[in-house]
Amino acid sequence: MANDGGPTAGERFIRGIIPENPVYRQLLGMCPTLAVTGNLQAAMTMAGATAFVLFCANVLTSLIRGLLKPHLRILVFTLVIATFVTIVDRILQAYLYQMSQQLGPYVPLIIVNCMIISRCEICASKQSVFRAASDAVGVSLGFALALASIAAPRELLGDGALFGFAVMPEAMPQWVIMLLPPGAFITLGLLLGGANWIGQSLNRRKAATE
Amino acid sequence: MELLGEVILIAISAALINNFVLHYFVGICPFLGVSRRVDMAFGMGFAVTFVISVAGLLSWTFTTYILRPGAPLTTWVYRLAVPDTEVVPDLSILNYIVFIFVIASAVQLVEMYVRKFFPKLYKSFGVFLPLITTNCAILFACLEILRNVSGVPRAEAWGVVEALTLSVFAGLGFMLAIVIMAGIREELDSCDVPAPLRGAGITLIVAGLLALAFAGFTRVDQGLANLIR
Amino acid sequence: MAANVLKQAWLVLVLAVCFGAALAGVHVGLSPRIEANRRAAIYDAIPVLVEGAVGEKAEQIELGGRRVYRAYDAEQRHLGWVIQASGDGFVDEVELLIGLDLEAERITGIHVLQQSETPGLGAGITEQDWREQFAGAEAERPVRLVSERPDEPNEVEAITGATVSSESVRDIVNAAVADVREAIHAGESAAQGGNGDGQ
Repeated sequence: MANDGGPTAGERFIRGIIPENPVYRQLLGMCPTLAVTGNLQAAMTMAGATAFVLFCANVLTSLIRGLLKPHLRILVFTLVIATFVTIVDRILQAYLYQMSQQLGPYVPLIIVNCMIISRCEICASKQSVFRAASDAVGVSLGFALALASIAAPRELLGDGALFGFAVMPEAMPQWVIMLLPPGAFITLGLLLGGANWIGQSLNRRKAATE
Repeated sequence: MELLGEVILIAISAALINNFVLHYFVGICPFLGVSRRVDMAFGMGFAVTFVISVAGLLSWTFTTYILRPGAPLTTWVYRLAVPDTEVVPDLSILNYIVFIFVIASAVQLVEMYVRKFFPKLYKSFGVFLPLITTNCAILFACLEILRNVSGVPRAEAWGVVEALTLSVFAGLGFMLAIVIMAGIREELDSCDVPAPLRGAGITLIVAGLLALAFAGFTRVDQGLANLIR
Repeated sequence: MAANVLKQAWLVLVLAVCFGAALAGVHVGLSPRIEANRRAAIYDAIPVLVEGAVGEKAEQIELGGRRVYRAYDAEQRHLGWVIQASGDGFVDEVELLIGLDLEAERITGIHVLQQSETPGLGAGITEQDWREQFAGAEAERPVRLVSERPDEPNEVEAITGATVSSESVRDIVNAAVADVREAIHAGESAAQGGNGDGQ
């Protein structure tokens, strides 16, 4: 089991952050990426909740991977994810009530975040617990970074603040459009273009040196 | 008249003003993935409308009779098991699990039905059906219905008509958005888009402009409802 | 047949039982807290709207078809009323709490429970400076919106660029106050020398 050909735990961890970033590279989990990135606090709460669900689901799936029947596995994944999402939803309501009101239906929508079920399917159902766990942490970090990279410009330009603290000079006009749905789409579109551009020019440089 | 006004409000709001894709950002995955050609977009739109209606109806039934605090069926069963008690049974912790399985079964049901009775239709949009299980738009519709059935005063709770209106028009709104998007993307094919933006990037930017356009519908529902009243 | 099904599905069944137990535990453990949070969202606003009232003492009733809270102070003296009302805003539903004095003659303040108006524009209805304009308005006649600094009671300055949001708050307040005021006055004349006030 120690060496089953797949990437090691460390590789799994690193890969999730940038090379296989769930948002920028795989276009997964777009719905929270656009919906809760109006301010950093909401975005980070969402990233935390998703990380909790992903970690628990990955570890549990990995633990029971030997017992899974192939045609029932999607059913089991869904059951596992829905249970942990219910738990995290209740925890948010109990300890961060204001935030849970703000996130509203986007917390239960973690259930259908394709990112989680794809990690269960691709990684956790085939790998040891330790690798599955480090994969979950890596992907969660990547997801959190992606959310932050969209939430920061939106909050900065739309509200002149970061994490709710005003940082922009008073004279700077607030671009309300950044906080509205069109701002979310356009910010993500431009950032995606930027990420692709960096990726492409790195590839070109690599090709030139070889 | 009262009901008609409310139905119109819900319909316009779900389809145009609070369009699921462009306002709530649910159903983005198929919106980006299956919007390359107009006919495919139509197929996806139909499939989603179909499933969302069935799932919406089922989740309204489950929420009203079983899941919400003090639901009649649950209370009846509970009283059978434990007579002489004042406790109001509350199964709302199972909401999400029940919904996700309702959606999965709705998808299966629709797939079987369509394959048996409309083989032609099945050929055109059947391939999209399994994909829809993880479409957040459907779960979102169920959650909207839940919000309006459970935890509101009895008199304000949605009936089956309101729930069905929301589901059908949310589906139609999704179809509208994805078909418009596919139309634009077909034209984009002959444009010189900067290389890094090709694909998802330009699609998202176009979606942003579409969202801006749809924001123009705000308050249309109020005006219409006032006309009717 | 049955044995075969069981062989295939035992894991799902075991998981379902385990998860059921876990969820029941979470429900039992966290429900009181969640319920307290939900109450606090409303009851914490009551002392702000009715001066001297104690949130926990408030009592929820139905009056004039509205959800209304009787506000009491620590000695169970009835001090005023708080109405919970909602209506359509610019984007989505706006839910308000509206304070009334004991005789239902004056509005003592409003509090926004829930809104998703445009940030920077319509969301201005939550600003304290704006909401304070409602305090002191006479309940007998409706509140009016004006475009400049108001100089009379019952006049509220509309938020620049968010006329619709301001109008929806005005409409919610006017409708709710009219309903409840009528119900309170009808109740008073019906039960002259009433005994429902606790003292």
